[in-house]
This record gives sequence, structure tokens and C-alpha cells, in this order.
Amino acid sequence: MTKPESPFLKQDGTKCSCMDMLQQMLDSEVTDEQREYFKQHLDHCMPCYKNYDLEMTIKELLKSKCCGSDVPSDLLQEIQMQITQKISS
Amino acid sequence: MPHIRSMYNFGFRLTLDRDDAKDLVQDTYLKAYRFIESFQRGTNAKAWLFRILKNSFINDYRKKSKEPSKVDYQEVEAYYNSEEVDRQITPDLRVESLKDMIGDEISNALNALDVDFRTVIILSDLEEFKYEEMAKILDIPIGTVRSRLHRARNLLKEKLSEYAKSMGYNKSNL
Repeated sequence: MTKPESPFLKQDGTKCSCMDMLQQMLDSEVTDEQREYFKQHLDHCMPCYKNYDLEMTIKELLKSKCCGSDVPSDLLQEIQMQITQKISS
Repeated sequence: MPHIRSMYNFGFRLTLDRDDAKDLVQDTYLKAYRFIESFQRGTNAKAWLFRILKNSFINDYRKKSKEPSKVDYQEVEAYYNSEEVDRQITPDLRVESLKDMIGDEISNALNALDVDFRTVIILSDLEEFKYEEMAKILDIPIGTVRSRLHRARNLLKEKLSEYAKSMGYNKSNL
């Protein structure tokens, strides 16, 4: 069976390296076709599989641990107050 | 108030200080209100707000702060656009070690990065902005966004790897 053509191409038309594909995946800068190709690529490229797994774990960790700064309760009020003052002045 | 949670988190991650973050966010919404005419309808309002906050941070806050000197990006980018990239060594970091990081390790690792690297991680991984939006928020070319993000991810991995080592995670098995 022949391997499908890579939808990951550089500007000069040559194929992207594993590293380039991985980065585009992580940055969510891929088309559905590219995503599908990459998922299949993972089945037979161990370094990509391992790196992708690691990077996605970091991404999930970031999302679960670094988004949760609680907004100070008075911040919203202060902003609203200042804008209201501007409107009335 | 639209996007206040994301904005406050961005402000906090930039300044690493809750009071400064508060001032920055407050200032951003007032500026947004004052310059609402400059917002182009149909474009991403969240990206517009992020851009105002980032500019306020650079103009008003960063001048006062003692941020470490800036990294030489030309050097960094020359390196990352070269063939060296594919041969680079991935830090010794395992998924198992990451899964054990249930405290503040990841947050500390992110905060320890230089502010420009920290920023691209926040915009991409936490806020899910695209290259094009990030380029507009940061006033840099898309190619620079891409290489800076790549570099930032590697630096973050190095930091996490240091934590993992210091906690002895990597010493067990294998």
C-alpha cells in the first residue's frame, strides 16, 4: 500500500519535517485533512507519538492550572463606576 | 464585562502581581471604552482587548519594572530557522512526571519564563488565539510568532524538566 501524500507542505513545495507538523498541530494551525494525516502518522512514528503525547499533556496542564486566577470582586464594580463617571461628565 | 476573567489572568501573568494586574485591567477597559470607535466591527473583540492590555503593559508598566534584559531575538530566530531545529535534544521529561505535578509547578514554570515567551504561551495555549491574531496583538510578523512559540515551548519543557529532576521523578524506573 502506498502512503498518502502529505498535506503538510512548505512554501517551496517540499514536505514538512515531523517537527514542523508537530508544531502546527500544537498551535492548532491545521486543516481537518492535515489533522487526519497527522493522526495516522502517529501510528507509525514513535518519536512523534511520544512528543505529541508529552506536549498535549503540558497543554492540558497549562489550561487546568494557569487559567484560574480569581478576578477580585471589586474590580468589576470599579470599572463600571469609572465608566459611569465618564458618561456623566 | 466581556472577557474579564481572561483579561485579568493575562494581566496577572504579565505583571505577576495581583494589584498591578487589577490596575492594568481597569486601565484597559477604560481605554477600550474611550477608543471604541477604533474597534473594527466584525473583528475579534477579545484580540482587540488583549492588544490594548499588552500595549498598556509595555508603555505604562514595563518601564517601571525591573524585567530582565530582553533576549536577542535575531539570534534566537536565526537559530530556530536553521536546520539545527530538527536535531535538537528534547529535555528528559516524561508524561508520568507531568501527571505528578499537581501543585504550582506548571504555573511557576510559566511565570519563570521571560515575559515575551510567557506571553505567546498564554495567547496560544490558554486563550487559543491563532497565529494571525497573535501577530496583531503583539505587532510582530507571523513567522516571528511561530518561532517564538516554538522556542517558548522548549524553554517551558526545560523548566518542567528541572522541576521533575529536583523532585526526583526521573530517577525512578528507566
